Amino acid sequence: MNAKTRSRVLGWVVTLLTVAGAAFVLLPYFWMVSSSFKTQDAIFRLPLEWMPREPRWQNYPSALGRFPFGVYFFNSTVMALAVMAGNLFFGSLAAYGLAKFRFPLRELCFRAMLSTLMLPLEILLVPTFLVVRQLGLLDSYGGLIVPLAVDAFGIFLMRQYITDLPDSLIEAARLDGCTEFGIYWRIVLPNCRPALAALAVLSFRENWDQFLWPLVIISKEALKTFPLGLAQFEGFHSASYHEMMAAAAVGMIPMILLFLLFQRAFVRGLTLTGLKE
Amino acid sequence: MSNGLPSVPVSLPQARTAARPFSLTYANRLRVAGFLFVLPALLHFALFKFYPMAQALLLSFFRYDLTSSPEFTGLGNYRALYENPLFHQALGVSAKYTLGVAIPEWFLALGLALLLNRAMPGRGLIRLAYFLPIAMSQIVVALVWKFLYHPHGLVNGLLATVGIGRINWLSEEATALPALIAIGVWRGVPLFAVVYLAGLQAIPRDYYEAASMDGAGPWQRFRWITLPLLRPTMLFVMVMSLLMAMKVFTNPLVMTEGGPNGSTRVLPYFIYETGFAFFRMGEAAAASSILFGLALLFTLVQFRLLRRGLA
Amino acid sequence: MWRIGLVLALLVGGLASGPGPAGAQSMKLTWWEHANPPHNEYSKELVARYHRAQSKVAVSYEVFPMTPYFKKVTVAMSTKTGPDMFTVMDPLMPTFIEKKMMAPLDPRSLGHASMDDMKSKYLPGALDGYMAEGKLYALPIVSGTMSLFLNKRHFEEAGLDPDKDYPQTWDQLARIGKKLVKFEGDKMVREAFDFAMHSSSWTMSQFEPILRQFGGSTLDPTGRRCTVNSEAGVKAMRLRASFALEYKISDPTVSVATHPLPAEDLAQGRVSMFITHPGSVAQFGPEKMKDLKVVPLPQVDPKKPVTHFYGFALAVNPDIPADRQKAAHELMRFLVLNPKEWLEHTAYPLPIKGFLEIPGVRSHPYIDVFIQDMSTGRFVTRSPKFTEIADAMHRAMERVVLNRVDPKRSLDQACQEIDLALSKP
Repeated sequence: MNAKTRSRVLGWVVTLLTVAGAAFVLLPYFWMVSSSFKTQDAIFRLPLEWMPREPRWQNYPSALGRFPFGVYFFNSTVMALAVMAGNLFFGSLAAYGLAKFRFPLRELCFRAMLSTLMLPLEILLVPTFLVVRQLGLLDSYGGLIVPLAVDAFGIFLMRQYITDLPDSLIEAARLDGCTEFGIYWRIVLPNCRPALAALAVLSFRENWDQFLWPLVIISKEALKTFPLGLAQFEGFHSASYHEMMAAAAVGMIPMILLFLLFQRAFVRGLTLTGLKE
Repeated sequence: MSNGLPSVPVSLPQARTAARPFSLTYANRLRVAGFLFVLPALLHFALFKFYPMAQALLLSFFRYDLTSSPEFTGLGNYRALYENPLFHQALGVSAKYTLGVAIPEWFLALGLALLLNRAMPGRGLIRLAYFLPIAMSQIVVALVWKFLYHPHGLVNGLLATVGIGRINWLSEEATALPALIAIGVWRGVPLFAVVYLAGLQAIPRDYYEAASMDGAGPWQRFRWITLPLLRPTMLFVMVMSLLMAMKVFTNPLVMTEGGPNGSTRVLPYFIYETGFAFFRMGEAAAASSILFGLALLFTLVQFRLLRRGLA
Repeated sequence: MWRIGLVLALLVGGLASGPGPAGAQSMKLTWWEHANPPHNEYSKELVARYHRAQSKVAVSYEVFPMTPYFKKVTVAMSTKTGPDMFTVMDPLMPTFIEKKMMAPLDPRSLGHASMDDMKSKYLPGALDGYMAEGKLYALPIVSGTMSLFLNKRHFEEAGLDPDKDYPQTWDQLARIGKKLVKFEGDKMVREAFDFAMHSSSWTMSQFEPILRQFGGSTLDPTGRRCTVNSEAGVKAMRLRASFALEYKISDPTVSVATHPLPAEDLAQGRVSMFITHPGSVAQFGPEKMKDLKVVPLPQVDPKKPVTHFYGFALAVNPDIPADRQKAAHELMRFLVLNPKEWLEHTAYPLPIKGFLEIPGVRSHPYIDVFIQDMSTGRFVTRSPKFTEIADAMHRAMERVVLNRVDPKRSLDQACQEIDLALSKP
């Protein structure tokens, strides 16, 4: 009885700490949103103003009207979703091959793929640009999507997860006469939901925010992505940060939606540690 | 062979070998199947990663200013780097930044994932709250933190309420790098917590139930069930956190321009400047090759260590 | 959920084949420019007007974010995928000329009888920054200088008359600064003077005029050797450091880590005097400008004024055929037809002679001060290694004002770094 109350109190303390931590982590975000309702002048005022004196809702329409943000928004969504789909499919496919099969040079394949994460994009920029130009993909969705559609991050993440799947599962399917691709599609993938959800969220986030690559290969207004639009609020000697913050706040909506959509997949179930006390 | 995890898959084809007369072809078929699974990714990598990487590494032996044609210099670029004190400084700064960001991330991300995995009121919202920092656009992150770190800004304002005097975060060599490290951790921890959350899902629930019935307390369950089974995920987090921290770029560019006095000039920033501002692409490629080598070394050591830890 | 993803992937695959190059019956010119919001709006308007004025050439105008804009231009030019015409910033001219990224311009195609005729129509030296070996490589558009902005209210509070007592020399600035600076205990709560040094380009535009006023220069006339550690250089650095270290009217820790728009510290009343550009007038807005006044840049010797000059200009891709180059010239000529409009839309003047005499221009606040400072202005050091030089100078200044390293020693180190950079091909 006594132990029970104690663990309950402890549970509440931990919860409170978690909430306090969240509040702390959110400070910069809060400041961003608050700034999006201020005048430019008020953003620079010191000491900092937590809340705008009178919220300027008009920052939002004026910021989004400044550049064709509808177009940018669409392009970024298309790019991030397509790259995400590529990462999920090809990433899990390759990861399954690397995790559950033996073939010559398997480890080398994996290491070589992993090594691609070690060079900064800056240095690969020109050679990759030349490949994409050769393929005739400059200034196209293809150029935005194809070079990013397979990524070592996804392969590595999925491989680590798939290795943990019990082999008996695969074995059983094989005995049932399932084709190898059928095993991947019907057995492995459904059992990877939490990892796929995590990868989906992280990949979407990463590619929604791509800056340098779209900048270099896109030269048409109609194909520009959201972060490029965002950076255009900054000029050589001037900038309108209140509008930039407003646009940035809107730009987070797809990521938040996606997170809410997928979070159940990587959180489902595990109430166990809490309940069993 | 497969690092940091029980190598069960390996035994599978062998078991078959014993069982069936046409076993060899069967084992080979599995090999081919495995390779075919990897092939699409491999082809993509060959075209968009390995080929450009080979180009970049090759370039490190040439003098190249982006516009005129490259000129072979042998090890000239590496020698130039060796003689450049700014490169040595950048190496040191990068090492400090990388370890300063990655190591706290390993522990904090796991801690956060465990916390967020508990049953608590409003869990969904709290999770979202922790996710928001990573959803913020990189450009905005740098900008917002620049405001918060201003000598009269929010961070100093908060410190003043607990009696700590003004700290010139971004304008003193001693504090500029730690200030950037803090941002790295702030953004990296939730990111890797998401990965850990997925990893925690892979642990079958009945393991915990069985352990509880045997009278194992929370710590014991963590130590003997969660930790060992999370090992593949931990390897992923350890490797990725290092690689990502090694490549940090936007924050030093926007917030400090590598200053004061070069104290936040990380290697990627040095590479960017050398290549695209100073137009010495060959030298930048040489610096990249060195960064590449270091990253490779780090990763190999981690794979080794974690495998040994398992045995 | 991955099924949805796959469907989307297919959908996108279809889209990828979408927009292709438009069939061009007339000539199509592309023009790239860095983001600079009010300026971009005006450029767009000019392009629309050009389309109405003729039907031969269609101009496709594209804007890119400021910070990485020149990276984009460089990658494009080096892979022969560059635009026909692009906007360039003056310090990068020597680099771009050296790398053959710009074609020499023909003054006659721009509507001038000769190069000399063209020069005579511009402010003295206004074209120098865009020339090499007697040839002009870019046509200046928005141009600016750095003048002293001061807070009139702060002056009045301190019993000074902003119309008479404003500083004309650096010594006066230091003395006046002592009256304006505000402390709480030993904490400076209001800087009398902020010497911008949050980025290397600002450090250069603020420091080089002082250096030149002392008769010094960053490089020798051949541009191959660093001379900033000369006596004049040390004097200039010492003077610059004295505002922070000796007179204590300036807080370098704020200067280094201030907000992305450093002039805002002046607008917010946290700084009494600040050196900034004509664009700040528009940025502050008329309400704030009521409290502010613009005066010429302080001098070492007011009889021999040296100030700063900078600007953006239009350049032509050298890899395009002659007829396209010609068309780009005609477009340029059209773009600068209306100097007064440039001022109204961008807050920056065009650097031409007689600018002040254009009807309506004088009503623009402080335009006479800016034109005066532009007339004695000089571009930052011309060198293909400018970025490296600016970086080294920025570090040198940080060492002096933040770490209190001796100016001579710090400049010696800067010269070592600069000479090393210059020695590289």
